Amino acid sequence: MKEIKTTLQSIACGGTGGEITAVDTMDGKIVRIRPFRNDTAYTKEELAPSMWKIEVDGKVFEPTIKTCPNWMALAYKNRVYSKNRVLKPLKRVDWEPGGDPAKMNSANRGKSKFVEISWDEALDIVESELRRVIDTYGPYSVICIGEDGHRESKDLHAGGGMHATLMDKLGGYTRETRTPDSVEGWYWGAKHVWGAGANKGLGLVAPQETGYNSWNVLLDICQHSEMLVFDAGDYELTTNYASMFLSQVMGYWEKLGKEMVCVDPFCNYTSVCHTMKWIPILPNTDAAFHFGVIYTWLTEDLYDKDYVETHTVHFDKMVDYVMGKEDGEPKTPAWAAERCGVPAWTIKAFARNVAKKTTSHVHYSSGSIKTPYSHEPARTSAYLLAMQGLGKPGVQQYHLSAQVTAKEKIARSTTAPFTMAIQCRMFFPSAQSLPRTMIAEALQTGKAKWWGSPCIVYVETSEQFQEFNYPGNPQAALAMEQAMAERFGKPIPTEAPKVNRIHLLWSEKPCNMNCWDGGFNYQDAIRTDEVECFITNHQWLENDSLFADLVLPVTTCLEDNDDMGASSQVPVRHAGLTPPAIEHQGESLSDFQIACTIGERFGVREDIDKGMTDDMWIETAFQSSRLVEEIDWETYKEKGYYYPKLEENWEQMAPGMRNFYEDPEQYPLDTPTGKIEFWSQALADNFPDDKERQPMAKWIVGGPAEEGWTHDETFWGERCKKYPLLVTANPAKWRVHVQGDDIKWFREIETCKVKGKDGYLYEPLWIAPEDAEARGIKNGDIVKIFNERGTVLLGARISERVAERSVVIAKGSRVDPIAPHLDRGGAINLICPGNQVSKHCKGFAVTGYLAEVAKVTDEEYEGWKRDYPEAFARDYDPAIGINRKSWVIEK
Amino acid sequence: MKVFVIDAARCVGCHNCQIGCKDEHCGNCWMPYAEAQPEIGQFWMKVEQKERGQKPHVKVSYTPRLCNHCGNAPCMRAAKDDAVYRRDDGLVIIDPVKAKGQKQIVDACPYHVIYWNEEKEIPQKCTGCAHLIDDPEQPIHTPRCMDNCHLDVIQFGEAEDFDLTGCEVLHPEYKTDPHVYYTKLPKKFIAGTVYDPEAEEIIEGATVTATCAEGTATATTDSWGDFWLEDLPDAQWRVEIEKGGKKAALEVSTLEEDKGLGDIPLA
Repeated sequence: MKEIKTTLQSIACGGTGGEITAVDTMDGKIVRIRPFRNDTAYTKEELAPSMWKIEVDGKVFEPTIKTCPNWMALAYKNRVYSKNRVLKPLKRVDWEPGGDPAKMNSANRGKSKFVEISWDEALDIVESELRRVIDTYGPYSVICIGEDGHRESKDLHAGGGMHATLMDKLGGYTRETRTPDSVEGWYWGAKHVWGAGANKGLGLVAPQETGYNSWNVLLDICQHSEMLVFDAGDYELTTNYASMFLSQVMGYWEKLGKEMVCVDPFCNYTSVCHTMKWIPILPNTDAAFHFGVIYTWLTEDLYDKDYVETHTVHFDKMVDYVMGKEDGEPKTPAWAAERCGVPAWTIKAFARNVAKKTTSHVHYSSGSIKTPYSHEPARTSAYLLAMQGLGKPGVQQYHLSAQVTAKEKIARSTTAPFTMAIQCRMFFPSAQSLPRTMIAEALQTGKAKWWGSPCIVYVETSEQFQEFNYPGNPQAALAMEQAMAERFGKPIPTEAPKVNRIHLLWSEKPCNMNCWDGGFNYQDAIRTDEVECFITNHQWLENDSLFADLVLPVTTCLEDNDDMGASSQVPVRHAGLTPPAIEHQGESLSDFQIACTIGERFGVREDIDKGMTDDMWIETAFQSSRLVEEIDWETYKEKGYYYPKLEENWEQMAPGMRNFYEDPEQYPLDTPTGKIEFWSQALADNFPDDKERQPMAKWIVGGPAEEGWTHDETFWGERCKKYPLLVTANPAKWRVHVQGDDIKWFREIETCKVKGKDGYLYEPLWIAPEDAEARGIKNGDIVKIFNERGTVLLGARISERVAERSVVIAKGSRVDPIAPHLDRGGAINLICPGNQVSKHCKGFAVTGYLAEVAKVTDEEYEGWKRDYPEAFARDYDPAIGINRKSWVIEK
Repeated sequence: MKVFVIDAARCVGCHNCQIGCKDEHCGNCWMPYAEAQPEIGQFWMKVEQKERGQKPHVKVSYTPRLCNHCGNAPCMRAAKDDAVYRRDDGLVIIDPVKAKGQKQIVDACPYHVIYWNEEKEIPQKCTGCAHLIDDPEQPIHTPRCMDNCHLDVIQFGEAEDFDLTGCEVLHPEYKTDPHVYYTKLPKKFIAGTVYDPEAEEIIEGATVTATCAEGTATATTDSWGDFWLEDLPDAQWRVEIEKGGKKAALEVSTLEEDKGLGDIPLA
């Protein structure tokens, strides 16, 4: 038989890597992708210093020898060989470079198809367009989209800032800043309660004295917590990020008999299969629920008074609000029940259970943390923990940046990889920038104003009080260029650069319309002549790329010679080499190679690749890492992976917020007072008139725009009369955000898609039986969800797992445009609000908003087919859905 | 004799087993054990899921299902020319060459785990990944479904190495002597939250007694007012709830489905 070759890979959908996964190939083709035995290259004795063990009540939890890749990694063959891969550069058929509106056909973006072109032609276009835009408007008219964020797990070859690295060599660029997507509420709200938090900025609680790293939280929970509250944590879903580890954690908690409660509009994938109490709650009403709980604690004396006295400030102001002294309305459990849909008796039971049992909160970035006014439920969540003695044994927040089980000696943080060869320019300030949430507005109105960079990590909380504007100020740009030149010992420029509006969009993560907010409006903005050229680099022909003028083909992580380990949400973190399992598919290049290749046209290639080969980069990354303290290059190269050794006394390190709990004076928070602030003087001083994010969390309903409100997305305003359902748009189980919607082995799983009577596999609309019946909707019906922002088609899945008056749609299904503001693909973020979290908080609000649902009538469906025949005539393969053939004109 | 032992109660529905099976067999031809499986539509390992109960007492049971490698296999009897054979280790294999055109093999399986490949005109099903077990050159030697499971829900090995006491098989009434054992198969439940409508409080410590012709199940409400009567047979029940002289009684059927009774007032 032919020889099987095995390479080790870290297949995941983010920059923190994935579990070691073995990829077997034969004759240059992938045979299988499978778990790996970590004792293959090391003996058990050699591994022992790197492996943790938790023992509670005689029950042991430790990493298994066999690694635990998730279903995304295990099905990755589908992604590599997808019919949707971009194999050659693509040019939109009716777009001509040159910036002439008559030849751009901007309005056809997302409608007209593509033709394959050679790399030479593609490079000619990229070069000429960049030169033209730079000469005409200046380099700041190029916006580099897709800084950081979710992509494949790659290092040197990663996308998400290689275009910015190149543009930096060409004089600058407008930086698109990623807004704090997974942590919006924590970022805009909780940071003003308990400080900057994880990675100094995310707002998920973390101690300052460890460089904002929460270690040993799992150990503390296993040892001391009696109960766990999952309020936006779905571990049997979010395991799709890096490994199955959190599923193994669930099994151990069950074995230890931990009581578990899930407060969620959806009986989520964790709740349905574990011993867990589900409390259905209306979307984005968590603040009301929490106030009902706090009322019970206050009136029944069920909170840690001493802690509140010594560790917090302005508690009295919150008490006045909850007891109704401020507005005459006590926030009783009955008051809360009316708003959140949870019966008063259950709110009281929750309050007493949490108070009487040592309770930690599990959070994993969905639910109310991504809603309109998300700063409110995030702050009330922080209040709950504060009132129960945050940091006390077993009272912690177990969040996405607190999931390293045992600290390694050479660890830099709870999330950073052990080696970094990545050359993407991320988190660098630029003289002109735009939050990702405001690009559409900037294109449509020519201006934008916001507060805070909003850089998601390593940023002072007080930066949120700083005003920023687009277009940027040329003098400020000059000052920044001068400072950078001085720092790097280059000639100091004296003339202010041209700073103009953006006209060339270049994206290395082309999914803004689907990952971010206000998608239909984003499409509108791209369809204008303001955008003279839109380039995307991507592996697959999907989402924003369908609206591009030029699409450059990118390798998948199994095709690059790279290094990548796993530094988050795996049983044991590792550093690893990931040599190519197979050849590049088609003519694809990595984002690094694309930047180098284009750089060559401008004579700056050497500034990017430094004249080094991949192997040299990888070795350099190793040599400049702390791995050298434990293993030499030759051994590392031979073995291919390495598990750094644990701190010898890792178990003795203060878990989570323990130091603050024990001694708040010596280990203060980085809030202005060093304590937990129920009411923030800083917010009061900086935004005295902000009625949406006040100095203290409140139940905020919002209202009409003319009265100065950003949102009217609740059952207590006007819009609900027209749009009476609240949307929960959670991360998807059978994708990671937008990645993997074409995986055919997932698409035939019944919770992944719903087959319509037209044979199209629609994204499921999860709807409660009562709400379906009221609308005459049956299982499997083609339905539409709509509000004034547009209409998205879905397939009905009637389920008891959904709270009444709400619907659940997993976010990230690919867009499949029928017409402007009408989409068949199920990309739910197309109809989410596009006006951010609140007045001063320009993050996104992508769940917890209003819409209505109706069955699509035959007449309506036939009408669309008649009016938009091209959309319905595109090639469609139910196995993978829309694909390259749907959009590429074959020669 | 090889058997599969599946602890379905611990299955979390990740489908890694189902994906592993596809990864091994779709597009990979392992003759003489099996022709390549079509890219979609066949499930030699399938995670069967069933939503149970009603809000807010809802669960989903996941049951990984595959060929039972029956000791008394109807497919073997239906096959001509020994197109289906049993190996010495007990695995039942369809010979793709001999089985060509023999659609009756698909129809013979009462478990519906044999699929018809239209293009190749052959019946196809789980092979227990016999090609991996037999070939020392392959990097692993266990069925892929088992190898992909992060919780050891699926195990495969010699029957005598397992304690099969109390294990169940799917549809024993088919009398095919299945070699796939389940530690526990899902049973029905009745659940509810008991509360005092006047005080608007849950009631802890209420006794719940469910009686049917076959017997009685009891539970006490917990600090959420909840009770879960689990592992119930399909039956018609009378559920009586009592605390401090207050009583409620309900007629509940688990013949068709599990029952989440929601919030039950005890007045």
